Amino acid sequence: MIRMHDIAFGYGKRNLFTKLNLNIPEGNIYGLLGMNGAGKTTLLKLVSGQLFPQRGIGSTLGFNPVKRNADMLSQIFYLPEEFPLPPMRGDEYVSLLKPLYPLFDQGAFERYRDAFDIDPKQKLAELSLGQKKKFLLAFGLASNTPLVILDEPTNGLDIPSKSQFRRIVASAMTDKRTFIISTHQVRDMENLIDPIIILHDGQVVFHSDLANVASQYSFKLERNEHDSRTAVFQEKVPGGYMIVTKRQKDDEETNVDLETLFNAVVSAPSAFSALAQNSIEGGVK
Amino acid sequence: MRFLHVLNKELHDSRKGFIIYGVTIFLVMFVVEVIAAIVSRFTGSGHIEIYEGLFPGFLFLGGFITTSVMFSDDMFSKRGQHAWMMLPASSLEKFLSKALLSAFAYPIALVLVFAGASAFTELFTLITVGDHFVMFNPLQAETWKMVLHFLVIQSVFLLGATYFRSVHFIKTVLAVGLIVTVAGLFAALIARIAFAPYLQGFFSPKAFHLSADINDLMKTTQGLSIVVDIVYWALLAPFCWFTAYLRVKEVQATDAIQ
Repeated sequence: MIRMHDIAFGYGKRNLFTKLNLNIPEGNIYGLLGMNGAGKTTLLKLVSGQLFPQRGIGSTLGFNPVKRNADMLSQIFYLPEEFPLPPMRGDEYVSLLKPLYPLFDQGAFERYRDAFDIDPKQKLAELSLGQKKKFLLAFGLASNTPLVILDEPTNGLDIPSKSQFRRIVASAMTDKRTFIISTHQVRDMENLIDPIIILHDGQVVFHSDLANVASQYSFKLERNEHDSRTAVFQEKVPGGYMIVTKRQKDDEETNVDLETLFNAVVSAPSAFSALAQNSIEGGVK
Repeated sequence: MRFLHVLNKELHDSRKGFIIYGVTIFLVMFVVEVIAAIVSRFTGSGHIEIYEGLFPGFLFLGGFITTSVMFSDDMFSKRGQHAWMMLPASSLEKFLSKALLSAFAYPIALVLVFAGASAFTELFTLITVGDHFVMFNPLQAETWKMVLHFLVIQSVFLLGATYFRSVHFIKTVLAVGLIVTVAGLFAALIARIAFAPYLQGFFSPKAFHLSADINDLMKTTQGLSIVVDIVYWALLAPFCWFTAYLRVKEVQATDAIQ
């Protein structure tokens, strides 16, 4: 679905990516994680053709994204972190834009819209940020595009809306669809995003599904600090230490704590090299 | 089919601005004409025709400014660019939807607004002040000749609208002024070199006897005029449209500055 090969990109003299490689097959809800300024949004813009790589080759849905082919764009729904909505009513917006998305499902839109409790007759400019986001999300999910890109989708959503968001995104997922969700709010995305892609220092330093991580690593909260020789990673958290260790044969499988996983990978990417052997997408790159 | 949807969306997005602009034109025409009719009635002076005077101003100045800001939000604004770039249409469709609106729909709509507003205003002044009924004639050749000139010159502003990332109108005017000045200086330099035997100092003519046949001179001038006509009527607009389209095709998120 998405292939980025040896991509180089920078802003002015600052190089962000020098040789970025990424391969995303269809049919999952990918979580794109990275620190501030790691290049998550830039990567999404390269994938969608809003930025052109300085070197390297990209392919999105079989198209060269640089050409911004109309057929490619009609298969992508991209919800950015910040966006304006035109001064019109919700139903006007839908009637103007739905003809441009061949797979748009009006019934599904109405279901999502009602689930998010958005009034179609209300002017979009009068909606709060969270409501605007929910409106666009309902539109994007109903557009049935094979690729859905969501950049910080839970920013601005209230607490009930976050769980509603997770439920609705999960229900809209099919084998033919791929979601890429870029986020800082990993707690909002737990039980939704899998596999995980982590960007760090201009590289994809981690790309693996959670089952693969759980099969090889244990995530435990312990009262005391662990022996640093056996711990892959440990950090002090309220209530003790979050410890990541290599999973032994007799160890029970533990849930992967996304925040700990992210911190562990960013602090020592090479510690997770074992994943490369088992992961479908190559684990640590 | 898809292009019609993009055009429809563009029309919808521009609708409010155009309605405000149309109402402004109507009010300006109405107020000026009513005042002119009252003055004419009570001073006994002849009727002053205002429409032929107002039309070129709205057509050229209004049209060029409208064209200059046509791409501003969608190509160069951080807030508006994303939705436009991700709109499922080709760069050509996105470009044409704006270019056609500003080049063709604008002058046609302006002629219709002028005709409608002048008919209403004239009827009003006829009933209230007893002024003559002389409305703006949308069918006169002069009007459409002006529209043709508008189509050519507007293309330069269309290029400026896509090329410059901000203050499009002023930058286009300055760029055109600069190009014209440089071209004029270059032509003067060539003329100074070519006619060196007949000139002294910079451009002070020496006394000389013109031996050239006046008919030959006329033919050369006519030839030059044909070249200028071809460049103006046939080449300028297609060149500007094509270059503007290429700029639309190449715009990136990094071009958004506002």
